[in-house]
Amino acid sequence: MSAFFAIIARDVALAFRAGGGALQAVSFFALTIVLFALAVGPDLALMSDIAAPVLWTSALLATLISLEQVYRPDREDGSLDVLAETSDVLALTAFAKATAHWISTGLLLTAATPILALLFNIEGPALWPLLLSLLIGAPGLSLIGSFAAALTAALPRAGLLIAIIVSPLYAPILIFGAGAASAGAAGDPQYGANLALLGASSLFAAIFSPLASAAALRFNLD
Amino acid sequence: MAATSLYELANPVRFERIAARAFPVSLIAAALLGAFGLYFALFNSPADYQQGETVRIMYVHVPAAWMAMFCYSAMAISSIAGFVWKHPLADVAAKETAPIGAAFTFLALFTGSLWGKPMWGAWWAWDARLTSVLILFFLYLGYMALWRAIPDKTRAAKLAAILAIVGFVNVPIIKFSVDWWNSLHQPASVLRAGGPSIHADMLTPLFFTIGAYVFGYVALLLASMRNELMARRLARMESASAPSPASLVER
Amino acid sequence: MNPKKQQRLILFGGIFLAAAGAVALTLYALRGSITYFYTPSELALLDETPTSPIRLGGLVAYESVEYDRAETGDVVSFTVEDGGAAVVRVNFAGLLPDLFREGQGVVVQGRMTGDGVMTADNVLAKHDENYMPKEVAEALKEQGVWKEDETGS
Repeated sequence: MSAFFAIIARDVALAFRAGGGALQAVSFFALTIVLFALAVGPDLALMSDIAAPVLWTSALLATLISLEQVYRPDREDGSLDVLAETSDVLALTAFAKATAHWISTGLLLTAATPILALLFNIEGPALWPLLLSLLIGAPGLSLIGSFAAALTAALPRAGLLIAIIVSPLYAPILIFGAGAASAGAAGDPQYGANLALLGASSLFAAIFSPLASAAALRFNLD
Repeated sequence: MAATSLYELANPVRFERIAARAFPVSLIAAALLGAFGLYFALFNSPADYQQGETVRIMYVHVPAAWMAMFCYSAMAISSIAGFVWKHPLADVAAKETAPIGAAFTFLALFTGSLWGKPMWGAWWAWDARLTSVLILFFLYLGYMALWRAIPDKTRAAKLAAILAIVGFVNVPIIKFSVDWWNSLHQPASVLRAGGPSIHADMLTPLFFTIGAYVFGYVALLLASMRNELMARRLARMESASAPSPASLVER
Repeated sequence: MNPKKQQRLILFGGIFLAAAGAVALTLYALRGSITYFYTPSELALLDETPTSPIRLGGLVAYESVEYDRAETGDVVSFTVEDGGAAVVRVNFAGLLPDLFREGQGVVVQGRMTGDGVMTADNVLAKHDENYMPKEVAEALKEQGVWKEDETGS
């Protein structure tokens, strides 16, 4: 079990080091939101209406651009072979990698949300549904995304391919996540159902992603 | 390694023999069923009590939508077969089904859009059925993109198979989306508890066009599988014969 | 217990717990309603009238369609019902789909402009899963075995 946490600690440390993906992802998140805000213009009512979809889409895109970092560097420097050889159950290692990705991107994006939400006129109680939905949904994004990263681990410049593969798989999380955040802010009773389905999607991703990632990694080792 | 390559050689040869005979048969069957189906659909079937003549779009739309799901299921099953029995033809079948399935999905979306405008009043609506079929289309595209991106065919087959199996979750969502959510799209009319809710005069042409689509799929699949096998044999022969200096210069 | 067995146990335990959680959450969500559209009854149950655009689904009530051909353009208004006590009056300026008629299922996109009043941006007609020739539909109606649609869900 200590190996599990060691992998997480190592990956998180790498992500925050110079050249790591964590700060890039959160900067990208902030920039996308700013660009959206500039495009929308000064209509504050419209802004708070579309805040949840904009923040959710931006979080999804920021996750997407950081996915290439999950497995490819490890495969290039050979540490993926070491990981695969030393881990007793490869699926648990894959789960640890996805968890590390969530801590260094998803959790970071969630933490940055209260400040960035101000740009879209979201503050006070309307913020909570957004934060809660990101907290439940972002792990799902990292899990599904790390599966696509495992599929393409052996390919150089796989960023666009990962985006094409993973976008349809992200649909339920985006629909229920943004749906829950919007419904929660509007006091809509569908809030609970959306959150539950978002949680179910993340849990479902937690089951299939480590197993499928492990299978994909086996074929991507030399 | 010797055993697998023998296996790989032996099976495609038998496949080639069967496919050479089955291809024209299925092509003719598709053409005949399609001609009959279109005749009944356009000239010899009643207009609907509510939709009038527009209902005739059903005869191209419904089979396309079914084939979209059928092709994905066939792709996922071949992928599983490729894993379990390591049958090389299963991988080729899965790979060659994808573009055909994507074409059927596009046709279903396109004809659905043409049908939606006069009946619902909108080309497109983000309801559960339409959204999940659109996602199916993108799943096909992702699968095809993955195949194209990986140069090593054996590795590509395995990795694409994993993706196809994971993406299969979408198929039951498409099927039951109209029952789980109250959607704009109407519920199932043919495959439903309590028998079809389509009048027999309209069901007959529908079965003809469905038959045409199925045989059309078989014909296209056989043709593209033969193409793929020949291309692979060519690639093997090219890599087996040592390149002469002249050929290197030509390139 | 060796580490490999222990890890396997953690893996299968984790899968089982996650699967149970996913199923429980889905069942909970399906028990509540996650909807493409609200019916008038569902709308009446809300604590406050939603201010953002919504979709409303139901049947066009019989003898409720009124056309107002003022110089501002054709405006149609009709009542949407779902068999319950609550109804919504819809005002719409625009093109109605072919299938729009009294008794037909519709999905209306627009904003609530008052209690039980809605201004529509778009009206979509739902059609049901029954396909039959006109003569058959009439014969069924004559024989009295015709079953009117339930709520457009």
